[in-house]
Formats: sequence, C-alpha cells, structure tokens
Amino acid sequence: MKRLQIGIESAKLANGLDVVVAPDTTAPVVTVAVYYKIGFRLEPQGRSGFAHLFEHMMFQGSANAPKMQHIKLVNSSGGMLNGSTSYDVTNYYEAVPSNALERILWLEADRMRALKVDAENLRNQRDVVKEEVRVNVMNQPYGGFPWLDMPPVAFRNWANAHNFYGDFADLDAADLADVQAFFKTYYVPNNAVLLILGDVKPEEGMTLAKKHFGDIPAGAPPPFADPTEPEQTEERRGTVEEKFGTLPAIAVGYVLPKRRTADWCAVALLDQALHGGRAGRIHRELVQEKQIAVEAGGGIDDLFGYNGPSQMTTRIIHKPEYSSQATLEAFDALIREVQQNGVSSDEVEQLKVKWRSDYYATLEGGRGGYMPKYGLMHLLACFTLFDHDPQLVNTILDGFLAVTREEIQAVANKYLRNEKRAIVFRTPVKASAPSDKKEAA
Amino acid sequence: MATRVVEVAVGVPALAPERPVTWPKRTRARLSNGLEVILAEAHSIPKFHGELFFRSGNAAAVLRAPGLAEMTAIVARTGTAKRVSRQIEEDLRRIGADLSSSAGADTSGISFSGLSEFAEPLLGLVNELAREAAFPPAEFERERRQKLEEVKMQRTEPDFLAGERLRKVLFGAHPYAQVAPSEAQVAAYKREDLQAVYREFYTPENALLLLVGDFDSNEMLKTAENVFSKWIGKKPETPAVPAPANPRGRRVYLVHVPGAVQTQILAGCHAITRKHPDWVKLGLTNSLYGGAFNSRLVMNIREDKGYTYSPRSSVNALRQNGYFSVSAAVRNEVVAASLTEIFYEMDKLRSLPVPEAELADTQNYLSGVFSMGLATQEGLLSQLSVVALNELPDDYLETYRQRVRALTSQDVLATARKYLDSSNMQIVVVGDCSQIEAQAALFGQLDIYDAQGARLS
Repeated sequence: MKRLQIGIESAKLANGLDVVVAPDTTAPVVTVAVYYKIGFRLEPQGRSGFAHLFEHMMFQGSANAPKMQHIKLVNSSGGMLNGSTSYDVTNYYEAVPSNALERILWLEADRMRALKVDAENLRNQRDVVKEEVRVNVMNQPYGGFPWLDMPPVAFRNWANAHNFYGDFADLDAADLADVQAFFKTYYVPNNAVLLILGDVKPEEGMTLAKKHFGDIPAGAPPPFADPTEPEQTEERRGTVEEKFGTLPAIAVGYVLPKRRTADWCAVALLDQALHGGRAGRIHRELVQEKQIAVEAGGGIDDLFGYNGPSQMTTRIIHKPEYSSQATLEAFDALIREVQQNGVSSDEVEQLKVKWRSDYYATLEGGRGGYMPKYGLMHLLACFTLFDHDPQLVNTILDGFLAVTREEIQAVANKYLRNEKRAIVFRTPVKASAPSDKKEAA
Repeated sequence: MATRVVEVAVGVPALAPERPVTWPKRTRARLSNGLEVILAEAHSIPKFHGELFFRSGNAAAVLRAPGLAEMTAIVARTGTAKRVSRQIEEDLRRIGADLSSSAGADTSGISFSGLSEFAEPLLGLVNELAREAAFPPAEFERERRQKLEEVKMQRTEPDFLAGERLRKVLFGAHPYAQVAPSEAQVAAYKREDLQAVYREFYTPENALLLLVGDFDSNEMLKTAENVFSKWIGKKPETPAVPAPANPRGRRVYLVHVPGAVQTQILAGCHAITRKHPDWVKLGLTNSLYGGAFNSRLVMNIREDKGYTYSPRSSVNALRQNGYFSVSAAVRNEVVAASLTEIFYEMDKLRSLPVPEAELADTQNYLSGVFSMGLATQEGLLSQLSVVALNELPDDYLETYRQRVRALTSQDVLATARKYLDSSNMQIVVVGDCSQIEAQAALFGQLDIYDAQGARLS
C-alpha cells in the first residue's frame, strides 16, 4: 500500500496568524487562501445571512485595492479566485501562476488590514446576494433542500437553527456599521490561517508571509456564541412546500458525534456504508432494489470542516406512488438492518479501501474542475483552526483505517436513533398524479 | 446614479518572471485490436484517471430516438456477462474506484479513477463494460423508469429549459437541436435499440483510451494490451448530416414558468468548431466579453448594477458546429435592462478596439488558467481529451500560451464582428409571462412556450 506524505511547514506569527506552507512543484501554480474562523453559526441575531453577505463585501475594496481591483488583479495575473461561507469558517482563495505569489499575498494582507467599502458597494452586493439566493434556492426545484430546510427543524439554538442564506428583511437591515463591526471583531490575524500551497519554497513562503502580514495588529480574541444544543430527546418533524418539483422528498438527519472523538471515525465509515454512491446501502436499497426513490443519497457534509452541532443527512426524492410513510418505513428498515447485523468483514474492507482512495482524491482535487489543491487547503485550514495541528493531514487516515466492524455496528446503534433525528418533508404544491399507491414491501 | 470613478490599486507588487510550464510527455500507441491509447504520467497521488471514449454520441443515434446513446451508456454499467449490477458496484468499491458512463452529443464514454495498485482489475472491468454489457431486462426497465422521472424533473429547472430551447432554435432540424428526450420518447425506448447502439458504437476502432496518473507508461501500456486485446469491432458508418441553417434576425423565445421569482436569460448564435483556426481568438474575445469574473459583462451587470449573481458567456464546441452563448439569471424587473447591457457590451466589442492594457490582462488570464490543467490528474486528462478528440496538433498544449499572446486588439475587433453576432442573436427567457412578456417583446418577434415545449403564442 503506497502512502501519500504531504510536506508541511507551519508557524504562528507574533500577531497570532497561523501560516501553513505545503510545497509541491507538479505545476508552476500556487494556491493561496485565508481562512477566518467565523461562519453562519456566529453571525449576530437579527442579521441572518450576514456572514455570507460580508464575504461578498471582502471583494469590494480594501485600503490600497479599491472595488474591482481584487478581481482584476487576480484574473490579470493569470489566476482564479473565490470565497465561500460555511458553518464555522469563511474562506478566500486564489490559484495563480507562481510568479504572482507576492502580489496575491499583498492583496490578502491588504484586505485583512483594512476593508474600505461604502454604502453603494453594500447596496450592490445585497442585490447580488438576493439573486444568488433566488438562483440557488427560491427559483430552483428542491432549492435549499435540505441544507436550508433542516436546521430550523433539527436545532433549538439560534446559532444552528437560523436561515444561513438570510431572510431578505435581515439582509436589507444590514448597514455599513455592521460591516465594519463584524470585520473588526472576527477578521483579525489571531482568528485566521494563511495557506500557501504548490510551487513555493517553504522559506520563501514564510518570509513573504511575515513581510506582508507580520505588521497587521492582533485584535481582541473574538467572542464565540455558544452553539451547544439542548439534549434532543424526541424525533422532530417539519414540512416545507415545494413550488416547482412534482415529486415528494424526504430528508432525515441524525446528530453526529463531535469531530475527532472516538466515535467520529466509525461514523464516517458508517456514512460510507450508507451513502457511498451506488454501492451504498441507501442507493442500493431505495433506488435499485426496492425502486421507491428516484434519488437517494447525501451523508455527512464536510466531515473535517464542522466544529459544532451537525448531522448526517439522507436526501430522498421518491416516486409519487409511494407515500411518505412507506418511503420512511423502507428507510427505517435499512437502518434497522445495519443496527442489528452490522457490516460484514468483507464490506468493512471495501469501505476502507474506498475511504483511502477518496481521501487521496480530496488531497489532490480541485473544486469543480478548477482551483487546484482546494481539498488539501481546506483540510490544512480546518486542522489548523480547530485542532492546531496541520500535520494531521498525514496521520488522520490511520484512525479511519483502524475502525472495526464492531465499532461501526456500535455507532449505528448509538447515533441512528429516532429520538436523535429530524425529518423534513418537502411536499409538492403540484404533485405528480400517482399511478397507484403502493406500500413498500 | 452617480458615475463611479475608476480607481486603481496602489503599491501592487510586480509579477516575478513567468516560470516555464512543462507538459508531461504523452505516449501514443495503437493496440493490436486497433484501440488508440494515449498515456501521460502524473505522480501527484498514488491514483490514476482514465476515460474510454467512443466517437459516437446522442447525435449519431438521434434518428432512432433522442438520448438513446445516453440511455445505452447508463444501462451498459448495470450488468455484464460475468457480473450483476450489485457485484459491479461492490467490486468498484473493493478497489477504491469510481466509474461513470454517459454520452454527450458527439461521444459516449466510460470515465473512471482508482488506486494505481488496482489498475489491472479496474481496466478489466472497463473492458467488460465496453465489450460484454448484458443489458439485463430488469435493469433496463428500472433505468427507463428512472429516466422518465428525470426528464419530468428537468422541465422544472430554469437552466435546462433555457438550454433546451436555445439548442432547438439554433439547430432546427439538425441532431444538435435535441438535448433531451420527451417522456413519450423515453417510454418508447426498447432494450434491443440500446443493444444495437452498443454493438455499433462500442468498438475498439471507434474508441480512444486515455490514461493519466501514477504509473509507468510502458508497463501500463502492456497491461492495456493484455486487458483489451481480445475486444474487436469496426468503426460504425457515420451518416453525413447537412449543416444546420443559421437563424437570421434577432428573435425572442419565452418559456413560461408560472410563479418564477427570477428570469433565466440565455442568448446565443452559431460559432465554430474546436478545430477552426479562429478558436483561440474567439476564446480570448469571449474572456473579454463575459467569460471571466473580470470580464466586461460581469463587471457591468453584477458588480456595477447588481442585476444578477452569475452572468457568464461561453463558446460551446460541437464536432460539426459550435455556438456562442451568454447567460444570466436576473430579477424579473430588470430583464429588459439586462438584455440592453448584454447587447451594449457585445456591440462595444464589435465597434471599438480593446485597450492594450485590458488585452494584456486577459491574455495573462487565459495563459495562466490554461496551465492549471497540469495540476491535477483529472485536469490533465481533460486537456488531453480535448486535443485528441478534436485532432488538434500534437504541440497544442505547448504552443497555446504563445498563440494567445500573439493576438492583437485588431484580431479581437475582427473576431467580435464575426462571431458576437448581436443582430442575429436568438434570445431565450425563462420566467413568468405576466412579469416579463412586455420586456421580452422589446427585443424581437416573440414566441411563447410552456415548460413542456408546447407553443402558447
């Protein structure tokens, strides 16, 4: 078995900024990212969607690089850029030919040091974000299902339960003072990690990082709202109307163990057993064998990147001749099966080989065919911000490869419990006429 | 609205000298059964990626039924003479592999990736799927029913509806006009039709095998010879199809989706194939117009006006043709305003030479992102497939950057005048008639359809 070893250098600057450099000369390309430890969960109440709106504002101008210049400078250096907001982190990243490395570090440092935006920029991006929400959610069949539908049903703490894309009224209420306060609180070097991956020498990366980021003053340690959930003791259910699609859909989410606890690796392999593509039990049973579902899949979203309450969520779009009840019963039957009989030793070996293969793909892989090293970047950032240990990228695989079939069965019984789950029914307004109702065998 | 002063960045570090890009050596071979093979080594991770292409796709089978090649590809992976569907999926997992089969307009293919240590069993399965697919009747029935639900669902997706209508409008009677089957056409698929397509299309003489990854090319070639050599078959007859008529005059097609809270705009016109000598020029022109984040259209209707989140233009290559298109999902109130800007930016590029600095920025962009294909096995495979399937020159990857850099502002002007054919653009808008009909009608003769494709007026 050939193991992959990633060379990594890391350091913490005097202002608290973590720097991680991972050299690789496969291509004359360097990927630069800054991750801030702030996501949807921690945005202020009354300002739902603000963490994401703010992410857009980070492209609107900084002290020495006004509006349009961030995008222009990256593209005209031969590179691509983007940013994204998730539950616990927000990232900004660029992949550029390596001769543009210093320019990109200068740009990221400029916007970490001082954001310079005006009311017109905010109006503009508020409009853009509303169209983003429309194109991804409000004007799409099954838009936001289940990533936006599930939290308000599953969780009780506002941090975990609110609308992450934002209610339009909250987006409208956001003003420049909110933008600057959020920036000042969370966008400080001691709440961030800088990553430089690819065609760079370790000492070159570290020297340039110090040169451009070293004099950005540290801020007060940011306050973190407590995302703890009260203990869930009963199954939770909710219904959301589907405006465009004509097939009924169900999402079932089970609360996950905390990341990097003893059960975490076993749950990840259980997830693979259930949701691992066409060989996974959920697709095999519901789509191929019982033929109840048109689509069935899902699983743990971003195993390495969550740092608060999260779920393993199955997403099922089913044929109209099966009732929601019958579909859920078929799903429950396959959960009971794994609880009662576990997985065979042959299956667990298959799961581990696939896990290793997928892990390598993550380390190498880009994002949607662009942005080289996106996967490695994301893992290094999360291991640095949450675990203070970027070297985990080379060792974490061992924990998954050591999981036993007994452990998989044990976590199936411990976590896949009705009183620990939430169910969302997405119900079409214009339902397809069922040919004839069937109950699942 | 106040005019925004164009500001520049202060103190930007200069670019260091450009570093050379070295594309890996390609090994080309033809196996004893006529199968063409191209291999390239990339040792970033202990895995490899591959694709077995067949040079026949949905267009070649469209007279039998739209989407038939796609359906053939789907069912081909559900059983062979030796393995049932469940066995195939478990065997893939056992060797840590992923595999998918699909068909586009011009090609069908089996795409796969897996651990290098299991290259032989993975190639063995690919060979089995290409040669001995059994088309089990029960699997065929299940996939057909599945496809039926999928084609119903597509008709609720604005971008599908826009793309489907644009292709119909641009390509008329040509096979490229059909991007998806209707429900009735899916219901009429027969297992024998799939088997016939399979027999004709899935032959070594019609195929190209690309392999990229962590292996020794000579050894991998020997493995491929061992695995594939017993597979035989001729190239299929390709019926000549007359070129599609190029629609003249700007017209508007509205696809009515009641209750839509946004409008999907998609406009397009005929362009060129990938082999055409103007391809690189049109690529550059497209990048200036709307093909990059920093492009004129994105800066105008997103960053300045906030009409849309995701405006983009693209040049779409088909084997026998190609088209230029521009898309944006905009709020209902600004459909006419967005179209006005879309045409303004097109006409501006057709009328005024691009400033030298903007040209150089865009040349840098294209040159830089092109070399990112080198960074991953999958990216490299995709670059190699474009070269091989379009029969581009062997040194295409090595010379692309200098060809982009050689272009001038006059080239862009001439290219825009030739291909950003604003007066003959066919405009599709997908949205709620009551919100957008009057705005759409301002841009040309208007036809209205429902989501099922029936003409409303």
